[in-house]
Amino acid sequence: MPTEQLSSVRQRNNVTVSGNMTGRPMVFAHGFGCSQEMWSAVAPSFEEDYLVVRYDQVGAGESDLSAYDAGKYDSLHGYADDLLDILDDLDLTDAVFVGHSVSAMIGVLAAARRPERFGALILVGPSPRYINTEDYVGGFEQQDIDSLLDALDANYLGWSAAMAPLIMGNSDRPALGDTLTESFCNVDPTIARHFARVTFLSDNRRDLRNVATPALVLQCREDIIAPTAVGRFVADEIPNSSFVLMDATGHCPNLSAPAELCNKIRAYLG
Amino acid sequence: MLTSDSSQTGPAPLAGAEHPVADFEDLFHNAPCGYVVTTNDGVITTTNTAFATMTGYGCHELVGRRFADLLTPGSQLFHETRHFPVLHLRGRADEIALVLQRADGTHLPTLVNSFVVPGNDGAPGEIRIAVFDSTERRDYEQDLLEARRAAESSESYVRALQQASSAFTLADTEEELTTAIAESIREAFTATHASVLLINSDGDLELAAGSHPLRDAEATIEAAALAFGRTVAVSNSDMADSVVPGLTETLREARLEAACATPLLDKGKPAGVVVCYFGRERHLADNAIELMETLARQSAHVLARLRLQEQLAELALNDQLTGLANRKLLEERLDQTLATVIRTQRAVAVLFLDLDGFKVVNDVCGHVVGDSVLQQVSERLRSVVRTADTIGRYGGDEFVIICDDTDADAAMVIADRIRAVVREPLVGVPDSCPISASVGVALLGAGTNPAVSSDNVLQLADAAMYTSKNAGKDRVTIVSV
Repeated sequence: MPTEQLSSVRQRNNVTVSGNMTGRPMVFAHGFGCSQEMWSAVAPSFEEDYLVVRYDQVGAGESDLSAYDAGKYDSLHGYADDLLDILDDLDLTDAVFVGHSVSAMIGVLAAARRPERFGALILVGPSPRYINTEDYVGGFEQQDIDSLLDALDANYLGWSAAMAPLIMGNSDRPALGDTLTESFCNVDPTIARHFARVTFLSDNRRDLRNVATPALVLQCREDIIAPTAVGRFVADEIPNSSFVLMDATGHCPNLSAPAELCNKIRAYLG
Repeated sequence: MLTSDSSQTGPAPLAGAEHPVADFEDLFHNAPCGYVVTTNDGVITTTNTAFATMTGYGCHELVGRRFADLLTPGSQLFHETRHFPVLHLRGRADEIALVLQRADGTHLPTLVNSFVVPGNDGAPGEIRIAVFDSTERRDYEQDLLEARRAAESSESYVRALQQASSAFTLADTEEELTTAIAESIREAFTATHASVLLINSDGDLELAAGSHPLRDAEATIEAAALAFGRTVAVSNSDMADSVVPGLTETLREARLEAACATPLLDKGKPAGVVVCYFGRERHLADNAIELMETLARQSAHVLARLRLQEQLAELALNDQLTGLANRKLLEERLDQTLATVIRTQRAVAVLFLDLDGFKVVNDVCGHVVGDSVLQQVSERLRSVVRTADTIGRYGGDEFVIICDDTDADAAMVIADRIRAVVREPLVGVPDSCPISASVGVALLGAGTNPAVSSDNVLQLADAAMYTSKNAGKDRVTIVSV
């Protein structure tokens, strides 16, 4: 493909394709806060057998920021549209979709709509709703999301960039001046605010039962973002699904326990 | 003694023999910042006293807990979704603002530097974290941030209004206006779909601009907004049925969750609806509804102005008594026709007719009957020519008809038909006052001199009409131009 001109979809989502070109497709999608780099310790180990596809959600990584349409991306359906565009563009079928965090739900929405593209869903730390209700524990309250927005503002837009070097006494240290806004997991600050709201204020519980694709829920221990009860709820709601509790703790086993994550995915796919 | 798992020992004593180990422990525990070591996935293995003091927990209580557990929920979200990934991928992360949740429930804003120490030979590494209290700066900055956000929020509404106003003012046509409305609304509310629907002449709502996912649906929120004459909002699909029966299902099928519609009222009369659809739950605050209504009000005003302008433009070209083209429009049409004739050499007939006996009717029966005669004749003229032909009132009791694609024979047929219908009895006119038509026809076609003007044509047709009149009225004279 080197000389082939990239399609607009591939450019928009900075789609990268690697691995076994005749293998079964395996598509990795990153969650809120990072980019496809999130999979750099996981995806390579599937390249021998699988056609490995990674991409950036619009607003993250090397995606095309000009493609950001606030109305379209005001719900996860807009992101699901993009995933389906990618599968169509590469004409993938029987794809193994590996989605982390909010992208697990993006995969759920896409698979519910177009099951013919999907062979299996690997949902890593999924949560269909983060806000508690009277009869549902998502783990967070509305004001927690507001305080996440505070944290985003403080770290991107507000004072940390300007004030932190002063407080920490290293204002004369240009090499470390590039903070979170650069180098890794690029995200556009304005889009990140909106994506945070869409991610953490969406309620897609009802969509789970519309998934016909076989699904594996991979749940970490002590995951405060997506607690175990939430993972079990997801597995209970998706008709053809399995639930596996990993030894890894936290919300990002793709970073903290990539080997275990790979083993669990392999074991499920057989 | 460093706090850590009892099986572990503290870091090796530093070089610099003048400090005994105990001094280093003191330096460590009472450093001017909190210091924490965690496992690769964030479980605390070591902490200094300074950090324990910041949190309000004892050192031993902290070991074995997850660092993220010590944060406020908002900072947990940020740490787990952003800070932790970047730290892992980059190896370090500096000057990250995180808020600690202390043992007593109070919050402590901090700045955090951390880096990853890789393990040897595939063993898991650890994360070292330095934590600085940043309360004062943070409070100050937080106030600034909140002030700025409040300003931005109201500013964004003001901006939406300003942008919309200028776009509305620039609009020259209904299409431009409705497009501007739909775009303004979609942008102001980050709506998945926004559209403007106008009531057409049949009284039905018709999509004028924007995208509307539910045009075929039976249950719509715009119908409800029109029926109630006010804004109707549905914040999620669960409640939709209680507002519009059937809407819950309709929304879900289209993968929508929320909707809002505001009627466009022109002097209290509905002219259309502005409607937004949202892909996820949306609670529109009062000020958002207010903005929507303000935009709708502005739009309705501009819409009314445009429609008035259209009416005025129409009035300027039509005779008020008969509704026929006036002299100005007639002359425009004739200019266009002449140009076409000269280009295509097509046959066109220009009929000039004058009512015989009209003056008598006016004198005997009065002007009201005279006006009625002109209206009745106009109606009859419409019935005998094709709709594409132009009929105009040239002045007084004179009429001009431009018949495209009409040669001498066809013109004679039309002129005879005109004479016949004019002779029919007219309401309000006694038999003693007969009315007929004298007609002059100017024929244009292949032989027409390119230099001829529409004035020339009208003069020739007029002269032919006089020929008919002088020859005894109620007859037709044809001349070629």
